[in-house]
Amino acid sequence: MPSKDALSVYLASLEKRTYYDILRIRPDADAAAVKRAFHEFSLLYHPDRYVDSPSDVTATASEIYKRGVEAYRCLSRKPLRERYDRAMGRGKLRIEPARPSTVPPPLVQRTLAEIARTPRGKQFAVKADRLITAGKLGDARVQLVSALQCEPDNAELSERLQILYEALALEPP
Amino acid sequence: MAVAVGIDLGTTNTVVGFVRDGVAATIADPGGFRLIPSVVSFHPSGQTLVGRPALDRRLVDAASTIYSVKRLIGRPWGSPEVQAARGKLPFELREGQGAATQVVVRGEPYSLPEISAFVLRQAKAVAEASIGQPVERAVITVPANFNDLQRAATKIAGKLAGLDVLRILNEPTAAALAYGPQGKEQERIAVFDLGGGTFDITVLDLAGNVFEVLATAGDTALGGDDIDVVLAERMADDLLKKHRFDARAQPMAFGRLRILAEAMKRELSSVDQHTVSADDIVPGDRGKAVPWTFRMTRPELEWASLGIVERTFKVCQQALDAASLKASDLDRVILVGGATRMPMVGRKVEQFFGSPPVVRINPDEVVALGACIQAALLDRTKQKTAEAMQHPRIHERSVVAEMLTEEELEVSEAPVLPVVSSAKMPAAPMAPAPVINVAEAPSLPGQFLPSAGTKELVFDVPSESSSAPFEIQLQASPAEPSRPKLTVPGVPPPPIRPRQPTMQYPYEASEAPAPVAAKAERPAPAPAPAAPPPPPRPAPLLIDVTPHSLGVETVGGFCDRLIDANTPVPCDRTRSFATATDNQTSVQVRISQGESKRFDENTCLGELELAGIAPGPRGATQIAVTFEIDADGILNVKAKNVTTGQETVARIQLVGAQDGPAAMAAMAARQAAHPLAPLG
Repeated sequence: MPSKDALSVYLASLEKRTYYDILRIRPDADAAAVKRAFHEFSLLYHPDRYVDSPSDVTATASEIYKRGVEAYRCLSRKPLRERYDRAMGRGKLRIEPARPSTVPPPLVQRTLAEIARTPRGKQFAVKADRLITAGKLGDARVQLVSALQCEPDNAELSERLQILYEALALEPP
Repeated sequence: MAVAVGIDLGTTNTVVGFVRDGVAATIADPGGFRLIPSVVSFHPSGQTLVGRPALDRRLVDAASTIYSVKRLIGRPWGSPEVQAARGKLPFELREGQGAATQVVVRGEPYSLPEISAFVLRQAKAVAEASIGQPVERAVITVPANFNDLQRAATKIAGKLAGLDVLRILNEPTAAALAYGPQGKEQERIAVFDLGGGTFDITVLDLAGNVFEVLATAGDTALGGDDIDVVLAERMADDLLKKHRFDARAQPMAFGRLRILAEAMKRELSSVDQHTVSADDIVPGDRGKAVPWTFRMTRPELEWASLGIVERTFKVCQQALDAASLKASDLDRVILVGGATRMPMVGRKVEQFFGSPPVVRINPDEVVALGACIQAALLDRTKQKTAEAMQHPRIHERSVVAEMLTEEELEVSEAPVLPVVSSAKMPAAPMAPAPVINVAEAPSLPGQFLPSAGTKELVFDVPSESSSAPFEIQLQASPAEPSRPKLTVPGVPPPPIRPRQPTMQYPYEASEAPAPVAAKAERPAPAPAPAAPPPPPRPAPLLIDVTPHSLGVETVGGFCDRLIDANTPVPCDRTRSFATATDNQTSVQVRISQGESKRFDENTCLGELELAGIAPGPRGATQIAVTFEIDADGILNVKAKNVTTGQETVARIQLVGAQDGPAAMAAMAARQAAHPLAPLG
């Protein structure tokens, strides 16, 4: 079993490794080789192999293992692996880095009722909120359009209407 | 020294197992029973009955006798499962704080983990009585398809029972561990687990000592109980037709029918037709009972349950699709769970997978055996001797070594009380009593004798002097503290496939070791010392997966998927969140599990709150949240403020969970206030 220090150093080094390096395989390794490599990796770093170690050692192993899982998930699925190979060509090491620069649009949102300012607008916004919660996006759009007519200068509300249009376009038939 | 056990906390029965000297075995209570019915009854005397005695109270005191909790545990009040169960169960359910589901007994509310804790305490007590040492740690199994809420609630139940839960283990994975590899270097297997209340299918790769789960799928509301209900409905129809009596309108009468239906279903696994009779269901004139009998054949049962069995194969296909496999790619299919005893299930499984399924270990015990193997491997305090680093073997008694022939079946046919089959055994697992009053005999659902209550049955029990080729092995009496190490190392049960396509083996083999008896009848195999012991296998490593995709709610009611279903655990994924308004100090994100793109079509786990954010302009603060699914399949969250680099407080309020310190303390106090009735 590797020591705690060895594990910590190895964990830190993972930041600079490709998925292939993490699993210790060649970039042209076939599916069976990827699987074999993941099993080898699991025998080395799965936290269950460290039950007799102090909990911080187990935790470090667990962090390493989770990176191995990430690599395995990516390399064992053909479309993901192809995407990763292309990204690697552009110098990327992780298929979706945890870098905050790539954050998706803010997920946190106020309710429409909070955004609306006029009493009439709020009434429509409340209905729109309820319809969105119920999954009836089309009906919600109607309410939100009405709310916006009450307060046409509410930029945040109109932004939310745009999002709703986008969502409707995404909505599966 | 405190020890670790494995507990299969089932919908209908709970089984506890323990590894001693490299041999995994299930543990019997002082009465010789290895299945503890998962039933809790609050007796008017203040005693809390668990298991067999509680089962008997189901007909007498239905409102205070709680069963089938596993179908509801971890399900919030508003969930369809709880709402559907409300009218059907004879005990009272109500909504607690935070959408929690509670049961009310004699005016006092209990959370569902509390009820399961009583069952776990009983399992703990049974284990302690047999092992002679305190049990402090346990691996507890759950259906592979359980979501985060259900797993977390089960873990709470374990804590309330005074157990350090080493692992929440998936039942099919446990079964695979109990079976172990079959000698081949590489193997691909499926575990078909049809229990009382849930169905799971898990596909695994076995390579050396690595057990990698490729995919799992299941239905937490599909099991043998559903077949009982279908049969009970048939019986109710019959009552209506013959006696103009509507059993559906009376929960007690319908409950009675369900028990008769279960007995009928079990009978028809070994015989072609069966008649049940009862004279206390239909009330007649002046209190005179009206006798009623109901006859059914196996084809009729199979026709009635076809729809339920067929549903399992839709789920099987899902799992195969997720693993990108075909049914014919599998080397072996293992049957687990009591409901797989129906011959039709074995037949249909063979049709679907193209090869006869394997039943080498008693399907009622196999999960507990796997759980205790994992417990032995994960037990920190255990000295890791060379033996402890090996894959434990399964106690002979739990091995269904060979499919029985028709004649043998007749002998071991149900309703089997342990003593009946001891007619073929040199040493019964329990002290044989020559006269058994059936009414007093422990009543397992399958042993329910509708009309035998008044008769005294007398069995001839042979003396202990009968020839006994396997005597020492059969003497591995449950109550014996110093069980000898498995004494027949030379004859490991071969990987036997059933001789006939129809799966026929006696049920309750755990109580009545009929297969062993049958085995003892064969020409005695070579004496033990002659054959070399099987080569030890290295300690196995389980790589399990998360059964559901994890996601967060995003704009427009959509679900942003963070972790895909069937990803190995532990795993994690980091996602950044930004404040949406000026001077926002907290951020709320809803979390769900499920495969739908729409958030509300998935199971909402609860809300994540990121608090203590320094006020600032909108979007200026970004918080990186790491969602981790641990080896128990339970979600943990860590958050870091990207802007300042500091840890951020992240709290998850799970829907319907009462896991705050105050609630935990109150529940622990209630456990302490309810002593369990003594064993035996």
